[in-house]
Amino acid sequence: MSSGSALARNPFESARLGSEVRLSVEQVSYAHSANPAQAPLFTLEATSFQARPGEIVAILGPNASGKSTLLKLISGALAPLSGRILLNGFVTHELTPRTRAQRIAVVQQESTLLFPARAWEFVLQGRHSHGRSLRFETPDDIAIAKNALAQVGAADLSDRWMDQISGGEKQRVILARALAQQPLLLLLDEPTLHLDIAAQIGLLDALRRLAAENRYTVVVVTHELNLAAEYADQVVLMQRGRCLRVGPPASIYQRELLEQVFQTPLTVEFGSSGRPRVNVLSGT
Amino acid sequence: MRPLTLRRLLLQCSILVVILFVVVVVALKFGAVPVSLYALGRDLLRVVFGQSSQISSDYGLIIVNIRLPRILLGIIVGASLSVAGTSFQALLRNPLADPYVLGVSSGASLGAILALIVEPHLSLSPLFAALLTPLGAFLGAAATITAVYFLGRREGQIDSTTLLLGGVITGSFLSAIILFLMSTLTGSLRGLSFWMMGELSTPLQKSVYWFLGMGFLVAAGAIYTTASDLNLLLAGEQEAMHLGVDVPRVRLVVYIAASFLTGLAVSVSGAVGYVGLIVPHVMRFIFGSDHRTLLPTAAIGGAIAVIMADTLARTVVAPTEVPVGAVTAVIGAPLFIYLLRKRLA
Amino acid sequence: MKISARQRFTCFLFAASAALLSCAAMSRAQTASPISTASPVFREVTDEVGRTVRVPQPVNRIVSLAPSMTETVYALGLQNHLVGDTDYCDYPADAQKKTKVGGGISPSLEVIAALHPDLVLVTKSFNRLETVHSLENLGISSYATDPHTLEDIIASSKKLSDVLGVPEAGASLAADMQRHLADLQKRLRALPPKRVLFVVWTQPLMSVGKDTFIADALRHAGAVSIVDAEQDWPQVSLEEVARLQPDFLVFSASHSDAVSPAVDALAALPGWNIVGAVSNRRIAVISEAVNRPAPRIVSAIEDLARQLHPDAFVEKPESGKEKLQKENPPPNLPPAAQSSYMPDVSQPQMAISGGCA
Repeated sequence: MSSGSALARNPFESARLGSEVRLSVEQVSYAHSANPAQAPLFTLEATSFQARPGEIVAILGPNASGKSTLLKLISGALAPLSGRILLNGFVTHELTPRTRAQRIAVVQQESTLLFPARAWEFVLQGRHSHGRSLRFETPDDIAIAKNALAQVGAADLSDRWMDQISGGEKQRVILARALAQQPLLLLLDEPTLHLDIAAQIGLLDALRRLAAENRYTVVVVTHELNLAAEYADQVVLMQRGRCLRVGPPASIYQRELLEQVFQTPLTVEFGSSGRPRVNVLSGT
Repeated sequence: MRPLTLRRLLLQCSILVVILFVVVVVALKFGAVPVSLYALGRDLLRVVFGQSSQISSDYGLIIVNIRLPRILLGIIVGASLSVAGTSFQALLRNPLADPYVLGVSSGASLGAILALIVEPHLSLSPLFAALLTPLGAFLGAAATITAVYFLGRREGQIDSTTLLLGGVITGSFLSAIILFLMSTLTGSLRGLSFWMMGELSTPLQKSVYWFLGMGFLVAAGAIYTTASDLNLLLAGEQEAMHLGVDVPRVRLVVYIAASFLTGLAVSVSGAVGYVGLIVPHVMRFIFGSDHRTLLPTAAIGGAIAVIMADTLARTVVAPTEVPVGAVTAVIGAPLFIYLLRKRLA
Repeated sequence: MKISARQRFTCFLFAASAALLSCAAMSRAQTASPISTASPVFREVTDEVGRTVRVPQPVNRIVSLAPSMTETVYALGLQNHLVGDTDYCDYPADAQKKTKVGGGISPSLEVIAALHPDLVLVTKSFNRLETVHSLENLGISSYATDPHTLEDIIASSKKLSDVLGVPEAGASLAADMQRHLADLQKRLRALPPKRVLFVVWTQPLMSVGKDTFIADALRHAGAVSIVDAEQDWPQVSLEEVARLQPDFLVFSASHSDAVSPAVDALAALPGWNIVGAVSNRRIAVISEAVNRPAPRIVSAIEDLARQLHPDAFVEKPESGKEKLQKENPPPNLPPAAQSSYMPDVSQPQMAISGGCA
């Protein structure tokens, strides 16, 4: 399923997206089995979509739908069974970890540090892939790290210890580290999972702004229906390892389809902004 | 924000080198035979200026031929064990890791015992006879490193948990064999128990010191090239990979180099304990967890610790000598408990 | 700031040259003058572990690293040449006044070096090979003994006396020891040997192996060890002892009073009263001289023989020859067998000849 033409998008938004394709996921599939003798435990069937600079793509689906696996394939952590993933024409899996890290930044849900570190040290780690492996940080690196913290609104956290700040603040610092990598592609795996509503909105607002300002391509894995609807330019809908549909929220958010995927009664309405809104019905 | 600069690193290392120098002077002065500072200074200057033949036989030989080689050995052993301990703590992501956790010391001890068993059956020149125990120990260490490497792999790469398990099991297995051999062998192995506790009085040829020094520089240098990678590795292996670290390569380099350093130290001095465990934590407390600072400061700190312990070992119940490993254990264990309670370790 | 390749190379050069300098300094240092300032005449002998030892002639200063060696040195009349011994060298009492160099396993090389010995005496069972090699590196020769039987002890003392330049003292010492043993042999010839367990330690129960000099000493005392093991210090099980039912248990102690409470404690332990020797208190206690392969072991053997075979020692009326020997003892001989003997230090010193072949 292709990403569709510009006609399917909100005409106001097409101006801020680049016209060239940056990320191209082509018929990517994956199978994983713990025991070679048994049948594969988890599969991802052939999935394709494309993304442009400045675009936010949401990979949406219930648990165990293959969202994280798809993200790992895009990040290069896993090698696809078939198909390929191209970033500006380069096959991501064939890049060395260092060159890959210069182009792709991954934001995980949590970061466990064995020994305590300050926030600025943490963010500076993002600069590791630029320059030689063993080196001292240049003034450029320091400026980029400071700027990254400022961009996520965490400049005041710079000297704080990572294990002493709140979940939301930590998430912002982790994002700053990803920004310090100066990537082309920003991948986030369920970034809103441990955050309260205000922090969730703050994070996604920041992502939208950053994508527009810095021309990132952002791919977010989430199961939050309304957040995806509000912020994504494109949605990849997954269920049980299959990609059901790719397209702008308006074309994905249809009641029968969502009810079947999420196994729960709901209604869909469209707000003034043109974005759909889902109301989950409890009971019955 | 105060990122690490070369100047700050050199400053920190210089301070430690000064402390090391003071400790070395103290170690040269103190011992079972009293030596005056004046005689010490005079004889050391004579050595440096090549006038060794003028050194009075009384002090000169004690300082130059007995204490100085011992101190040099202490520096190499202390530095090797500390660097190895720091590396294993990063590699295994475990603050309780020490150089011996992967069974290298048991392999070295077994190699030394086998060398002792074999020695009467070989007619060796006195030169080789003296080297047989360290050589056997080193070969035993090398064999253990190889075996644990193959045990510690998963899907073709070193995996931290599998490595730890494989190493611990191998260590216990080898220790059991050692105990069995020690209880059934005909000769007296009392001397070997002393060696296994860790001691610096092993007689070595000059060429061996060269080999030790070069070996340390090469292996520690190799580990140092991965210092930034190790910083990232501590954040998590997946994250490190996403930040650009070639995790399998770094793990392999660090494993081999750190095990080599451990084997080097254990072959010549037995298993001196607690140095590789505690010195990294102390240095981490003072200088932070950045491995670009931690590795060199741990090396110098380890040298300081071992020389201080050895000076105590030589003087506390003079003229009898206590094994260095006993001193490090007596001091190290309470120190570790203290660090734990302050939640620094 | 980024370190340029040139800066890194310079640092490496700096470090490497520092390392090189210190090693060079060390290598030059090791050509410092040797310890011994005595005459450079040497004699090559082979010691009892097969090493070639360069012994300076004459041997003026001796350091002993084993109590048995200390005792032998005193028995050969060379105590004035003994400049240092270990903390464990307690016999004779004069040995305790010598400069101490530490333990047998871990002596202080510094103290030994400061004593400027011509020769250091070691034994294979009490000392380490590393110590010997360390002393070699300092230019100090060591002579090692390794006796496993009484004959070895006698031959060892004789050979040592030759190495140290007092062959006559060695010969007479050896002859004396052999005479005592032969006399003992004569008395015990007709009697069957008693089966004994020589107890080194009670918990765990350890005895002596068949190749040790202690086992041989037992044989000379008219006993045989029930333990037939290859190891030097085998651990034996109580069951085995109960099965073999030794006639006697043999302990070595400095005072016999120390032993009976230990044996009482032993009898109280579960299972030990099955052993007849324990329940009937058939215990023999001999001096700790039996643990040292030195001339004094002969008196311990005689003591044990008396305890095991008292009938063999009923005194016969002295013959004239024996009476003569008693009244005119040759110099440097121990008096008639007692639990311990003191060498007669007031005897004129034997002249130490030098450079003999």
